[in-house]
Amino acid sequence: MLFNSLGFIVFLAVVLTLYYTPLLNWTGKKLMLLLASYVFYGLWNPPLILLLWISTMVDWTAGNQLAKEERPRVRKLWLLLSLVVNLGFLAFFKYGDFLLENFTAMANGIGWDFKARPMDIILPMGISFYTFQTMSYTIDIYKRKTQPARTFLDFALYVTFFPQLVAGPIVRAKELVTQFYEAKKANAQQFLWGLFLLTLGLFQKVVLADTLLASTSDTVFGAKNALNFWDAWSGTLAFSGQIFFDFAGYSTCAIGIALMLGIVLPDNFMYPYASIGFSDLWKRWHISLSTWLRDYLYIPLGGNRYGITRMYVALMLTMLLGGLWHGAAWTFVVWGALHGLYLVGERLLKKVIIIKINVFNGILLALLTYTLVNFSWVFFRARTFETAKTMVASMFYMHGDGAKVLGTFDIVKVFTVIGLLFICHWVMRSTSLKAVSLKTKPLALGLVWGIMFFLIAISQSGGEQFIYFQF
Amino acid sequence: MNLKQSFIIAFVLGMVAIASWEAYWRSQGKTPTIQDDEALWAQQRARVDQLTQDDYIFTGSSRIHFDLQLDLWESLTGKLPVQLAMGGASPLPVFRDIARNTDFNGTVIVGITPPLFFSTTFPQAPPISGPQERVDHFYDRTYAQRFNHALSKPLQRNLATMHSYEDMLAGNVDLKSLLQTVKWGNRTGRPQMPPFYEFGELSEVRNVRMLDRMETDPAFAQSVKDVWMFCLTGGPNMPPPDKKGTMAFFLEDVALITQRGGKVILLRCPSAMEFREIESKITPRPQFWDELVQVSGLPAYHFEDYPQFQGLNLPELSHLSGPDADVFTREFIQLLEKDQLIANRKSN
Repeated sequence: MLFNSLGFIVFLAVVLTLYYTPLLNWTGKKLMLLLASYVFYGLWNPPLILLLWISTMVDWTAGNQLAKEERPRVRKLWLLLSLVVNLGFLAFFKYGDFLLENFTAMANGIGWDFKARPMDIILPMGISFYTFQTMSYTIDIYKRKTQPARTFLDFALYVTFFPQLVAGPIVRAKELVTQFYEAKKANAQQFLWGLFLLTLGLFQKVVLADTLLASTSDTVFGAKNALNFWDAWSGTLAFSGQIFFDFAGYSTCAIGIALMLGIVLPDNFMYPYASIGFSDLWKRWHISLSTWLRDYLYIPLGGNRYGITRMYVALMLTMLLGGLWHGAAWTFVVWGALHGLYLVGERLLKKVIIIKINVFNGILLALLTYTLVNFSWVFFRARTFETAKTMVASMFYMHGDGAKVLGTFDIVKVFTVIGLLFICHWVMRSTSLKAVSLKTKPLALGLVWGIMFFLIAISQSGGEQFIYFQF
Repeated sequence: MNLKQSFIIAFVLGMVAIASWEAYWRSQGKTPTIQDDEALWAQQRARVDQLTQDDYIFTGSSRIHFDLQLDLWESLTGKLPVQLAMGGASPLPVFRDIARNTDFNGTVIVGITPPLFFSTTFPQAPPISGPQERVDHFYDRTYAQRFNHALSKPLQRNLATMHSYEDMLAGNVDLKSLLQTVKWGNRTGRPQMPPFYEFGELSEVRNVRMLDRMETDPAFAQSVKDVWMFCLTGGPNMPPPDKKGTMAFFLEDVALITQRGGKVILLRCPSAMEFREIESKITPRPQFWDELVQVSGLPAYHFEDYPQFQGLNLPELSHLSGPDADVFTREFIQLLEKDQLIANRKSN
């Protein structure tokens, strides 16, 4: 089920009614939320709920065993079971065809005439998110950083909680399960702030991503010929805006919906396009994934504990795997590699150039960071390396007579939206939406809220899927 | 921060703005319409699995969609056909789906618009990809999508704000379509298609009837003609027809349906004047229609061969006006009855 659909409005209204009527006690409410979460997921493809159940059962059992078991070897085996099941699902459903394709190419490369039929495996929605979430649970218990959930119901709801089930934020057990132990209820302020965030998230997705930017990005990246400089930049900027509004929109909706239930989810985006450098970027973009990768990949790989070379290797490996997490294609690996190189390059430069950040050089460095981010988005969006290569060449003005596929209005529209996005991120980079709203007069906030609501309504979302569902 | 106050302001403002938007579009002549989208198409496609030997399926492009009126057909035969035709489409993907993925053994009436039917079998070409996407949607649609469609229909029936036809951007009132109508010069240098407004009204069983305005407002009818002429002459160069490929593709599936006792009937609906001339140039009748009829051995009806189909009113040269679509439907049923291709006429 998609947040930007009529069905979800009805679903949420039913869930909120049941949640706030005094018919159910707290356990009953949690049970209702769990069933609602299965309905939310099952309305897409009912049989794939089985995967959620298996993941839930395995990690619940492994978590309990890890908590009470003292023998290191047995504890390792329980952890291994959890990792094998979760990563096994991910490998089979997400990377099965990719692995087969690459194996076939490699076999043919060494002269073995091997042919394989594509497996055409369905990618279960949100599998990358919920497998990472449940893996963090067993790893944290293994490391004695957290306690197992008190009841199976609490744990099952942690795995399946519908607001963040299919596209995050990826929440650690200690951040979410513990909130299920005591009855939760949003007060009027929380409920309305949650509703405001839901409206803002839908506005980002439906109006800004789907209505204003998606078609430009699709036209440019779907073009068959080398493009003109302006078209290539417009398409890339449009995609950078689209993917931000799409994904941040989903996270904002998720945080808002959870808050309407009295549950607090962590922020996932903090105005990333005003980042000064790439370390800053990854503290602001998809925060729940970058912290997951830091805690469960980069640090176990050695982090910065074993010298500079090892640190750079760990960083590159983390970013390469982070790229692959986004999709089973080499273009995503290159996207990850670019970010790895950006991070390594930044650390090297920081050793020789020390800059004291002020408003003037800060905005220039933020623009430079954003420009480099855009080159990485080309590889993320392009379906083939050929497309990416042609697009990058066009962005460097190497196809002066390249095809013009966009109208003047489209170009002006994209540059205006992205210009405003950048300014907004720059203004907001040291503050928060909550802080700004506290300083805003109720009338002004109401006007902005009403306008967003109206624009969502007249956009008539056809229920476009969120980009990150495929990851 | 007083969020209650902000919420009340937002709610009142939002509602007033939506009501004003609705009133504005109604003042501009927009009326609530059912959207001919993939969800509605899939709903009709789902009916195929319940059909009997006495039932009918129509497939093809917009001509058979406009020219055969379902309510009249039902009143004369007692059977409501399943209408699976769609604008600008080749019938091949839908026909293949019926032949290979159902056990339907009733009657399939295939609307033949020669430039579309004989165009191509290339999966990415628009006459094939459009209908194939609808077939795919039928198999892939989720329960959530069905639920959303069920919820959206009452809104479509009652709000002009929901007025939206696929691919008819000039008449749509959603924000994206409105923005797409803004043109500042012609930077791409490509020929610009004239504004294309919807000229038919759709019912929930996908019956399309031409708007009365097409008969009373010559300028409006001319705007649709301009679009046809652009598509046939001014638009991007069309590849040559693939007669051999399309016929072979079609005949394979014909065999599957006829072998299980089903009937397949070919119908060439009327076109007129410049439209007909251009069509005849692209796909001359003797080399295309006549050859298809001869090779397939199927019962076939070409409007040129019947006096009752002459002089019908085609306000934009390609589709029949509402009243003449009734005439065409009635006369066509009589022909089928005469040729004993309809066994269950209601009057019998």
